[in-house]
This record gives sequence, structure tokens and C-alpha cells, in this order.
Amino acid sequence: MKRYLKIFTAGLISDNPLLMLMIGLCSALAVTNNMANGIGMGLAMTFVLLCSEVIISMFRKLIPNSIRIPIFIIVIAAFTTIVDLSMKAWTPALSEAMGVFIPLIVVNCIIMGRVEAFSSKEGVFACVIDSIGMGLGYTWVLLGIAAIRELLGDGKILGFQIMPDSYQPILFFTLPPGGFLVFALFISMNIWLKKLIDNAGARAGKSGKEAVA
Amino acid sequence: MKTLLKDVIRLGLILTAFTVVACVGLAFVNQVTKPIIDGLDARRTEQSLKNLFAGAESFEMVPEFPAGAGAVKFASAYLVSKGGQSIGLAVKAAGPTYGGDTVLLVGVGSDAKVAGVIVLDNKDTPGLGANAKNPNYYVDKASKTTFPGQFRGKPLSDPFEAKKDVIAITASTITSRGIAVIVKQAGDAATAYLAAHGGKQ
Repeated sequence: MKRYLKIFTAGLISDNPLLMLMIGLCSALAVTNNMANGIGMGLAMTFVLLCSEVIISMFRKLIPNSIRIPIFIIVIAAFTTIVDLSMKAWTPALSEAMGVFIPLIVVNCIIMGRVEAFSSKEGVFACVIDSIGMGLGYTWVLLGIAAIRELLGDGKILGFQIMPDSYQPILFFTLPPGGFLVFALFISMNIWLKKLIDNAGARAGKSGKEAVA
Repeated sequence: MKTLLKDVIRLGLILTAFTVVACVGLAFVNQVTKPIIDGLDARRTEQSLKNLFAGAESFEMVPEFPAGAGAVKFASAYLVSKGGQSIGLAVKAAGPTYGGDTVLLVGVGSDAKVAGVIVLDNKDTPGLGANAKNPNYYVDKASKTTFPGQFRGKPLSDPFEAKKDVIAITASTITSRGIAVIVKQAGDAATAYLAAHGGKQ
């Protein structure tokens, strides 16, 4: 049980795909200029990650090592297309806003990375936990970055006006450079959080209690 | 040599098996979603056409509309009629602006004037060029005219030049110029089509 908890929490902070592993950044920076896109992208990505990890973990003994990468891509591409078509059919507004980034989940390094590094070696249950942890880790970062960028760059949260009318939106934050700046701040904040957790764990370990992290 | 061949066949078969399963799954999903997506597209187009031509009653897709020359391409065109009489033509046209192609629906009346312009897709800079699609961005605040809104009623004999007879979006001259060119070319093509086929109506 403790092992699964560790796999789950790894994705949130200490092995966060965006802030620690630094993979899958391009689409993450591109879609975070407002929160609705962040939610959509996070959920779409988590779904594809979960399905791909489970399928590949189930068939990991049947996949020959020499052609594992093409097979991974087929599996990932199939689930991405399913998400793309479903979003077009049932949430057309969201699909329009996300544009090309949904099809691009296929080449998102987070999925490729987790499938190659984790689910091609681990059991199905561990993969479910890992993909949910990684997916949530990805989603919370997207939401955080998007909230700051939308609030400062547009004066809104989820499309609702938050800032007073006299507020002049700082356009910089909705543009790519603003994305990089906020992203960098998140990286440093995450390192600080990780240190806090590690320190708490070390202290708890010293006094003979169980580690929290 | 023989083992190599055997390996190639074995790996090929495994890859084929995975691909076939994936394809069957996708075919199934496509079967479910395609009618919904097509329905949405059709409804969206119809809604846009109704916005362009007040009182329009029926729309008929023009089967052999020219595809356009140069950078501006025409995807499709609809003949708009009211009370059995054609009142204009709407052209779905795409052309380059700042961040890729912008797709417009350009309505042209039989009087050789632009009936209206709707921006269907635009990938330009948010807050700058993307204001072409923003219903709350006005190039003329007093009359609440949006950037595409200023083309309504504009005669096609005008030059359609941004910063001259077309009011540009602030700090987005490339977008403004690009859109003006698309409107002009789509408008000219529509007028030419209406003139050539006018006798049959």
C-alpha cells in the first residue's frame, strides 16, 4: 500500500512531469492562457495517459522489445484520436479552443516517457496509480499557471471578470514570454515545496516516526 | 538469413495485429461521433449564414465554385435565397494572416456589396490580432463596429486596404491587411460567380 501511495504522490510534486521531469512543456505553455483550456487539456491528457498505460501494461509481455516504440505510438495515437473525436462531438467549444494541441497529445513526451519508463515494466494497478498521479500533477500545474496568466493578462478567471474595470490587463502574461515567466516561478516554488516535504520527512524519520512523504 | 526473415515476419505480424485492433476501435468511435460532428458543423454554418443575410430562408451549396488562386483559397460557397429568389452568395475563404490561416465566411449581396463577414477561425496573437474574432473589440467605439463588422455594406469597388479604407486593429496591421485581402478576393470571386450565373435564377 505504501508503495502505491509513493507512486501516486511522486507525480504531484517530487517527480512532477512538468516542474521536475521537465517533459511535455510545449503544449503546457501554449494552452495555459486561460483556465478553461487548462482544465480541458489536463483531463484529455490524463485520460490518454491512463488508457495508454493500462493497455501497454496489460500487453507488456507480448510487445517485442525491438518494436515497442511503434506499438506505443499506435496505442497512444488511437486514444488521442478517440479523445479528439469525442471532444469535437460533445464539447465543440472546448475542442475549438484547444485547436491543434489535442492531436498533438500523441507526441507529448509525458505519455511516451511514462509508458517507456513505467508501464512497460510494471503491473496494471501500479500503472493506474502512476497515470492518475502524473495526470493530476500535470493538471494542477496547468491550472495554476493558467489562473495567474488569465487573471493578470485578462482580468478574468474562467471567463468571469474578477479584476475591477479600471484594471488594465497586462497583455504580457497571455503571450508566450509571460507563460515562460510564470512557469519558471512555478518551478522554483515546486523545488521549495519538495525541500519542505523532504525536510519534514527527514525530521520525522529521526524522531522515530513514520515518514510522511 | 532465415532467422532474420522469420524475425521480420513475426514482428510485422505483431505490429499488424496491434494496428488492426486500434483501427477497429477508432472506426467504432468514428461511427458514433461522425453524425454528431457533421450535424454541429452544418448547424454552425447555417447559423452563420443567417447572421450574414437577414431574412435568408434557404441555402444551397454551390457545387463547382473556383478554388481560388494564390494565397487565398475558397473552401465552399453557398447560394442564399429568400422567397425563391437568390439574394447573394456566401464564400468560406481562408488566407494567411499573422499566425497561420484565418478562415472567414464572406457574404456578398447581388448588389456587389459585402453583406457581412464572420471570422470562423483565427490563430493570431491573443489580445492583438485575435481581436478580429472578439465580439467586444470595436474599431469604432461610438457605433460599436467590430473589425469584421466594418465590412458590412462596403462596395467591392473599394480598394480594401488596411489603414486606408479599412480601419486596422491596433498594433495588428498584418492581421488587418490579411483579412482585408481575403474579403476582397472572396468578394470578387462571388461577384464574378453571381454575374456569370445570374441569368439562370
